[in-house]
Amino acid sequence: MINLTINGKEQKVDVAGDTPLLWVIREHLQMTGTKFGCGAGLCGSCTVHINGEAVRSCQTAVSEAVGKKVTTIEGLDSKGQHPLQRAFVAEQVPQCGYCQSGQIMQAAALLAKNNDPSKAEIVEHMNGNLCRCMTYARIQRAILRAAADMRGV
Amino acid sequence: MNAITKTDKATDAGVSRRFFLVGSAAGTLVLGYAATSKLSEALAAGPGAFAPSAWVAINKDGKVEVTVGKADMGQHIASTMAQIVAEELESSWKDMTIAFASNDPKYNDPVLGAQITGGSWSTGMNFDAMSRAGAAGRITLIKAAAEMMGVPEAECQARESRVRHTKSNKAVTYAQIVASGKAAKVWTADELKAIKLKAPAQYRLIGQSVPQLDIPSKTNGTARYGIDTFLPGMLYGKLALPPVRYGAKVTGLDDAEAKKVPGFVQAVVLDDKTGTTSGWVVAVAKTYEGARKAADALKITYDKGPHAAVTDAAIVAEAKRLQAEGTAGFLFVKNGDSAGAIGTAAKVMEAEYLTSLNIHAPMEPMNATAREENGTWHIYTGNQFATRTTGIAAAVLGVEQAKIVMHQHYLGGGFGRRLESDMVIPALLAAKAVGKPVKVIYSREDDMRMDFTRPLTYQKVKVGLDGNGKPVALEHDVIGAWPTARWGIPEFLTPAVDKKGPHDSFTVNGADAWYTIPNHTVRNYKNEVAQNATPSGQLRSVAPAWTFWALESVMDEIAAATGQDPVEMRLALLDGSGANAGGDKPQTSGGAKRLANALRTAVGRSGYGAIKLGPNEGMGVAAVSSQERSSPTWTACVAHVAVDPGSGAVTVKRLTIAMDVGTAINPDGVKAQIEGSALWGASIALHEKATMKNGAIEQTNFDGYTPMRMADAPEIDISIISNGEAPVGCGEPAVTVVAPAIANAIFKAVGARVRSLPITAEAVKAAMKA
Repeated sequence: MINLTINGKEQKVDVAGDTPLLWVIREHLQMTGTKFGCGAGLCGSCTVHINGEAVRSCQTAVSEAVGKKVTTIEGLDSKGQHPLQRAFVAEQVPQCGYCQSGQIMQAAALLAKNNDPSKAEIVEHMNGNLCRCMTYARIQRAILRAAADMRGV
Repeated sequence: MNAITKTDKATDAGVSRRFFLVGSAAGTLVLGYAATSKLSEALAAGPGAFAPSAWVAINKDGKVEVTVGKADMGQHIASTMAQIVAEELESSWKDMTIAFASNDPKYNDPVLGAQITGGSWSTGMNFDAMSRAGAAGRITLIKAAAEMMGVPEAECQARESRVRHTKSNKAVTYAQIVASGKAAKVWTADELKAIKLKAPAQYRLIGQSVPQLDIPSKTNGTARYGIDTFLPGMLYGKLALPPVRYGAKVTGLDDAEAKKVPGFVQAVVLDDKTGTTSGWVVAVAKTYEGARKAADALKITYDKGPHAAVTDAAIVAEAKRLQAEGTAGFLFVKNGDSAGAIGTAAKVMEAEYLTSLNIHAPMEPMNATAREENGTWHIYTGNQFATRTTGIAAAVLGVEQAKIVMHQHYLGGGFGRRLESDMVIPALLAAKAVGKPVKVIYSREDDMRMDFTRPLTYQKVKVGLDGNGKPVALEHDVIGAWPTARWGIPEFLTPAVDKKGPHDSFTVNGADAWYTIPNHTVRNYKNEVAQNATPSGQLRSVAPAWTFWALESVMDEIAAATGQDPVEMRLALLDGSGANAGGDKPQTSGGAKRLANALRTAVGRSGYGAIKLGPNEGMGVAAVSSQERSSPTWTACVAHVAVDPGSGAVTVKRLTIAMDVGTAINPDGVKAQIEGSALWGASIALHEKATMKNGAIEQTNFDGYTPMRMADAPEIDISIISNGEAPVGCGEPAVTVVAPAIANAIFKAVGARVRSLPITAEAVKAAMKA
């Protein structure tokens, strides 16, 4: 039995320690906001936070998350109103929407450390997250909007 | 062209003989098309089963739910349909909600007579039916409200989900009218047709960028995709695949090692009677990680079948052989005498154009969950072609189509990949074998290796020019696999111009372009080597993404060879004469001159010919009428590129796109579609290439197959031309215009002509030397 803390809640799961965290979150705990895209750390759809750092949950063994704080899109903000979530709505970013949880989680880790990123810093931080609908321009705008919101400007 | 052939028949059997019913059931006002005029009969089953089609339901708190028989894959089509309904219904946007239909035929597209989402057809084909549904609802609500208020109907007005009588300052809300149960009317088809719809000047919602109804759920993890399905007692399936794309057979299966995996249930060899899959095995286990381990542990032997030696080179060689032989083509266009005109032309030019295999790779890998209950099979997935998927599911199981229920979900990307039905087959057959619900999730490797790729195409173009460099003859041969022919649905094929038989015009659309060239021949060839070894699919924008690659490249080659400006030359050919005037059908009204306008717009916005460019930079243009001749969306692009003369590497600095969409229902939604499709076009032009070796797709994940990422995304300037003409699709056309514009810009920048997609730095470098 493995004990996890996800979005502030204790969870027990009966899985092997080498099971990717992604499958534990999605299929065992049925928290489906986190998405499976490639299983190889190449697309970023499965991005969650471990102790505030953006990680690819498909490349993270569940055992590595023990004793740490895991945050998924469902727990980013209790009301789904994180500045990035508001900005992604305001900029009408999502198309198919499938990669967007990962995009938002990836961006949230950036803004937590740097609430005034340059466009180049955004691109560098976000380049590992694929969007097949290619909403890249809107993602950039939404991150800039959320950053401004967080700075109170 | 196919769409219209089908339209006439489907319309006749569909909307024109149906009634439109408005009535109350269980406290909800339902509005929908029905085959019966008996309201009570239609309502008897309640709103959930309103027969045959509850497209719109207004519940007692005034919320309006629009049920859409379309696949929502990022184009926000459900929201667009709701916007069209709300315009005429005069309901408040905040009251609108959306739902997805099951595969029940009652939700079939009123024009197509099927449930299919593709071809950028949805908006154009459903606009009238959805508008009339909304208008009939409004008129019925006003009548009921007038009765309730005791005032003349003619003095009432509906607005923002309320009916008001201004003289007496009375008003009732839609919620109150629904609660009264007074709104009821059976509309005959003639009455419905007689409703005078709003003129564009009266629009309140159409033309406004109202927020898309699906977006909030896609920022908080609550949007449900097929992969998010959970059913009681559900098991997991993971594919174990043969080493070739198609044609393999399983000759032996040893599951001894798989049995050691905890939770392993069974390995199921798929007996697929539809031939959609070949040599597939599903490992079923209690957990997904268990299913993956078990699939890896299976020892399977195969007969690799007849296509195990096929390579890209073999497909190209066969295409060239077919073209040179020249007898197997189906005539798609035959105007004048192109051979004769080429024989007497002042100058003749020839060129070959290639496009590679491409993989759809939507971010949500293919998946489906299947469950049987009392003889009915339930499928949970996101699919663009519910009608066909229903047929395939029934054939795979050997049951009647009525025993198949498909529960539609959001699609984590479609792009044509989810027009296919393969993903339901392993889920159904595994669920049948183990007697429990099974969710099958393709790994990314499964998804790429078994993609129904965009076909590899080879095109040969020959032009005859008069003494002024004006093209007077054009011969265009298109050779590739025929995705639509593989579907086996005769209605989707088109008779050849010379009555040779049906062919797949979805592989040649666009070649019947709107330039005035008096002698024009287009032949369409099926490449059987490709057809069998690389079962191909419809990939976002389909043929126009290769036919315009050839056509818009050769236009530039003509201009360059004869010293003409590529813009002025195109404008002269887009004179709108004869058949290119556009006729009186709403979608083609205005004809080629609208494309000329779009081209002028893009050119003007880009600074083409006026602004100073840096060294090794160039601007190239392209103008297209994607998708089909009967449903053109007039689109032009100016690409501004910089080429590194040392390596040949291309940087796209800016894409300027102008698109005439007739009527932009939601301008920001149109813009989003153009942004995404333009970058898709750039990605296919520069970043995406799949290859076949030994009968297998060689790229298996996003390391080998590399769609554009944020760092490579150019700036895009978009002009939406919304001029009051009929609304047309906007989700695909920009894909088709970008690649030729980039190639033409590369030529302007460094004099290198590239004729093969994707454009690689090596190819540019080589062409610079040539």
